[in-house]
Amino acid sequence: MENFRLLAPLAWRNLWRNPRRTVITLFVVSVGLWSVLAMASFITAWAQSSRDATLRLLLAQGQIHAEGYLDNPNIDRLMDRPDATLLAALNAPEVSNWAARLELPAVVQSEYKTLPVSVVGVVPEAEIRISSVPEKLVEGRYLSGPEDDGAVIGLNLAKRLKTALGRRVILMITGEDGWLEERSFDVVGIYDADTAFEDTYVFTGQTAMQNMVGVGDKIAQIAFEVPQDDALSGVVDSLRAAAPTLDIRQWRDLSLMLGAMDASMDASVYVWMSVMMVMISIGVINTQLMAVFERIHEFGLLRALGLKPGHVLALVTLESVLLIGLGVLIGMAMGAATVWGLRDGIDLSAFSQALEAFKSGEVLYLEIKPIDYVIFPLAIWLLGVLVALWPAWRAAKISPVEAMRHAT
Amino acid sequence: MPKLTRRNLMKISAAALLLPNAAMAQDPAALLRAAFNNWRATSSHAIAEMTIRGSSGTRSLTMESWTEGDDKALVRFIAPARDAGNATLQSGRRTYVFNPKLNQVIQLPASAMSQSWMESDFSYSDLTKARELVDDYTHTLLGTGRHSGHTVYIIESVPKRGKPIVWGKQIVHVRDDYVLLRQEFYDQSGNLVRTMVADRVRNLGGRPYPTELTMSSVDTPGQWTKIVTQSAEFDVSNPSYLFTRSNLQNPR
Repeated sequence: MENFRLLAPLAWRNLWRNPRRTVITLFVVSVGLWSVLAMASFITAWAQSSRDATLRLLLAQGQIHAEGYLDNPNIDRLMDRPDATLLAALNAPEVSNWAARLELPAVVQSEYKTLPVSVVGVVPEAEIRISSVPEKLVEGRYLSGPEDDGAVIGLNLAKRLKTALGRRVILMITGEDGWLEERSFDVVGIYDADTAFEDTYVFTGQTAMQNMVGVGDKIAQIAFEVPQDDALSGVVDSLRAAAPTLDIRQWRDLSLMLGAMDASMDASVYVWMSVMMVMISIGVINTQLMAVFERIHEFGLLRALGLKPGHVLALVTLESVLLIGLGVLIGMAMGAATVWGLRDGIDLSAFSQALEAFKSGEVLYLEIKPIDYVIFPLAIWLLGVLVALWPAWRAAKISPVEAMRHAT
Repeated sequence: MPKLTRRNLMKISAAALLLPNAAMAQDPAALLRAAFNNWRATSSHAIAEMTIRGSSGTRSLTMESWTEGDDKALVRFIAPARDAGNATLQSGRRTYVFNPKLNQVIQLPASAMSQSWMESDFSYSDLTKARELVDDYTHTLLGTGRHSGHTVYIIESVPKRGKPIVWGKQIVHVRDDYVLLRQEFYDQSGNLVRTMVADRVRNLGGRPYPTELTMSSVDTPGQWTKIVTQSAEFDVSNPSYLFTRSNLQNPR
């Protein structure tokens, strides 16, 4: 402790004997940490935004199917409308919205092309509450009711089919009797989502579609939404209790891709952090080593004055503790300032075309995750001090006689 | 669209006077029905050569075909060796394809019906849905023309509301002896998409018959498919086993 009192002011003063070198190291450490923190905020915001955008599009937070439908979505695996028990569970306050859909694989045909799609028979009134597709219409109108036998198709699909609003397309769906039912549908609306989605989904009125394929009032799925993602597994359990024979899943099990993305978003931050750690380590070792070599004469003098090798080691280590600690504090301040500076959200709409593939929303809101501001700075600080032990050890090893003879 | 001028009217009435069934000539639906009956008869047996000019060159295939009524047809390729044995069978609403290399009969999913048949400009539905034109369209006589001494009726056919047909309209040229001379397919904006033309009409099997048919798409200029019928017999008695799956796979 006595030593520390003696060495700490010495170390602090030593730092500023060569301000240029100190500032460079501070810069390396603080910018490195800042980039990790800013990136963590950005990736978290992006992942959340793209997850919400995808769930909002059609997936919702969970879906109910007949057993086996998801493995082989065809007309033999439909389910009945929800019975009283399930209806009560769906209308409970824990479920904010739900919508029944009839979804079947189909083929769409225009004068020029025949393409595979998925036709979704919707109840527009319920769909408007749970899905963002009705808001994404760029031409025409959304379906007016379950009896509406118009078709709402994606922008890219319309382009590939060389069809347009008001024209006719043929939809072919395998019906109850095993025959392919063909019917002409007028294109009443065109929506703009991402291309893969646009190429896949065609929407029409549920009753119109049920009549076409002759399935009575059967449906293929119920999509539901809960107000809080934390409450989701509880809701899934209560729905399962209400309908034990049905296949009820939350979005993580419906879209494994999305679930994996959600689970692995932290990993990319850690990868970035390890890269930054290596850069910072190299920077710290380099400057500290240079500092030690330049100060051989000085260390010799200190030893001659009576400092033990352990004291020299402590002195140099203390210098890096202070130096990197200061850098880390500046980095944290910069990270927090960045998030604060972008508190109105990052508007990505200018890049929306390019970002379509990432399915993100158009405005990102950054947030500070407190745990990030503990783990990352601490890790960088500890690692920085650890690598600086090597120059410190070199300094401690110096023999005073040789050092005194060493030209400065 | 040519107007029903006095001159056109004169032509029509002149044609009506000349023809034995004059009433039919003015009814485009009856005209088309007669043309299709002339084309396929109640049954037929023909040998034809199909030439396909594609993007990568020209190839020729020889095929033998049998038809019975409107809904039974069998086409078997006999040359060249590479394609020999390939066969397509239409039986009612079902279409089967036999590939000798796989030794497999595949029932075509209806979604594949609009795909190209043997890489030609014809699709499977062109083979099986020819009758659609007669039944599912409303026909209007647009005017008349002349073709090697015959009167030609130009008919505009518009799909009936609600029928699962992608075309905006078809324009069909039918000769007064019920030969289909030209069939044009238009999209719903009125642009021509593909055309089938009878390049040559000959007397075959005791009836006037379009012996050379060329199908081409506007999309792919320079590419076409031509079917030249070399010999044909009509109203023959085809054995009933002909249009079965087993005969498709193992021809007797």
